[in-house]
Amino acid sequence: MVWKIQGVEGENYLESIKNFLNQLLKSKNVDAVLVPKRFPDGNNTAQVLITDPGKLDDIDPLAPVQMVNSAQIVKELTKDPVKEKIASVLRPCEVRATIELIKLKQILDARLYIIGYDCPGVYNVKDYIEKLEKSNGIGKEGFTLSYVNSFLSGKQDTIRESCQLCTHFTGNSADINIAWVGSNSSDVFIEVNSEKGQSLIEGLAGEKIGDLIERNQKINKILDERKKRQENEIDDFLGFMQRCIRCYNCREVCPLCYCKECLLKPEKMGYSSDRYLRRATKKGQIKMPVDTVLYHLTKINHMAFSCVSCGLCEQACPMDIPLGRIYNVFGRKAQALFDYEPGRSLDDELPVATFKEDELKEIEDVKE
Amino acid sequence: MGKNSVDFEPKIIAFLCNWCAYAGADLAGTSRTQYPSNIRIIKLMCTGALDPTYVIKVLLEGADGVLIGGCHPGDCHYINGNYKARRRVAILKSSLETAGLESERVWLRWISASEGVYFAETVKEMVEHIKKLGPNPLKMEWAI
Repeated sequence: MVWKIQGVEGENYLESIKNFLNQLLKSKNVDAVLVPKRFPDGNNTAQVLITDPGKLDDIDPLAPVQMVNSAQIVKELTKDPVKEKIASVLRPCEVRATIELIKLKQILDARLYIIGYDCPGVYNVKDYIEKLEKSNGIGKEGFTLSYVNSFLSGKQDTIRESCQLCTHFTGNSADINIAWVGSNSSDVFIEVNSEKGQSLIEGLAGEKIGDLIERNQKINKILDERKKRQENEIDDFLGFMQRCIRCYNCREVCPLCYCKECLLKPEKMGYSSDRYLRRATKKGQIKMPVDTVLYHLTKINHMAFSCVSCGLCEQACPMDIPLGRIYNVFGRKAQALFDYEPGRSLDDELPVATFKEDELKEIEDVKE
Repeated sequence: MGKNSVDFEPKIIAFLCNWCAYAGADLAGTSRTQYPSNIRIIKLMCTGALDPTYVIKVLLEGADGVLIGGCHPGDCHYINGNYKARRRVAILKSSLETAGLESERVWLRWISASEGVYFAETVKEMVEHIKKLGPNPLKMEWAI
């Protein structure tokens, strides 16, 4: 169901989104909004928890930068039950990670409203800061808006690889999605996807409108291009792993790596000087740091079926391993086994928490 | 190390569940059923409790094969651990393939406590298969 809310039309998409969130807070349908906002110097954005509608100036959810996967912030925010209702404005990959974390019982969603929005993708943080510095004169909001225009005209070659491969860039599994792709004016539309979403816009003046045909065409065109970019194999996985220094950055930023006690922590792996020497003796030599392949393959086996391909692991990797692409391939293969799509719906059970009696007969035996 | 099946004796690590496959191996032993000595058994309470990391670790360390043995579908002592193990093994084998490693070295078999003979046959069959496959190339691979 698509709604057009009255009085949100601003001069540009950012202003329209701001006006919509302003109405939400004033309507008291929610008590707080979590939304990316520019810092006063304009050089970056962060997720900001806003309770005062007067503080919504400078919000910038469309800024082409993602510091963390905000599902981690939502997890922190909802770890204790509270009576206030929180609406979190999330990129689609963050929406999907949030849904996975709800299924994994890491996010309490009773008072949480998930607001998605069409995401134009992001640069790597380093590229973003460099491009922002070079763009002086057009203003910080202008930088975001000119980026949005280049997205709409199909220029996508310098954004993060995970974003170039992303085929879920609209928030259709969120309670509501703020839709702007395919809007002719600077207006935004509200796609309501759940009962919770319906209660969110209750009392706001607006009207139901039919499907946005131009929007679907535009989205499908982008999807087709991106699907062509997706690869199904990884050339030389072991070679890439030689670059890994097992710094654990990819695990720290991964929204799906939620375990408080990680099996892969050095102290759990039983590393000791004596053991290194024994392991070296076995093969005659051993690479240090050890177990980089074991680390990644274990991580993949633990979370790839829920991997939302946000690409934060790649952004965090100091050794420039293309982890976004690597995890995307492993993830899609694991998900295809069970026709599972992470973050599609709260009703889909996690693949490893459920089973069918009559399935996977082929792996019970090895074909000669 | 030659690939010749005559001079290559594979080392196979078996993760067997306490209630079925391990009891099956036990029965093979007490019944004096002969099977090759290439297998090293690690007892688990349930195949559903087997973290894939242990399978990956022994393969990277050079084991030539891994046998995962559990109860037949419907017979799990913990109701459905074996069904869940099957899903995990499916993900594991897919990830090994994608990583360029040989998923053929990992076998999942359902062996009941009364199937001592079937356990012995499974071991024989697996040893023959792994002999044809040759030694695990990761055995002397140090850069992983």
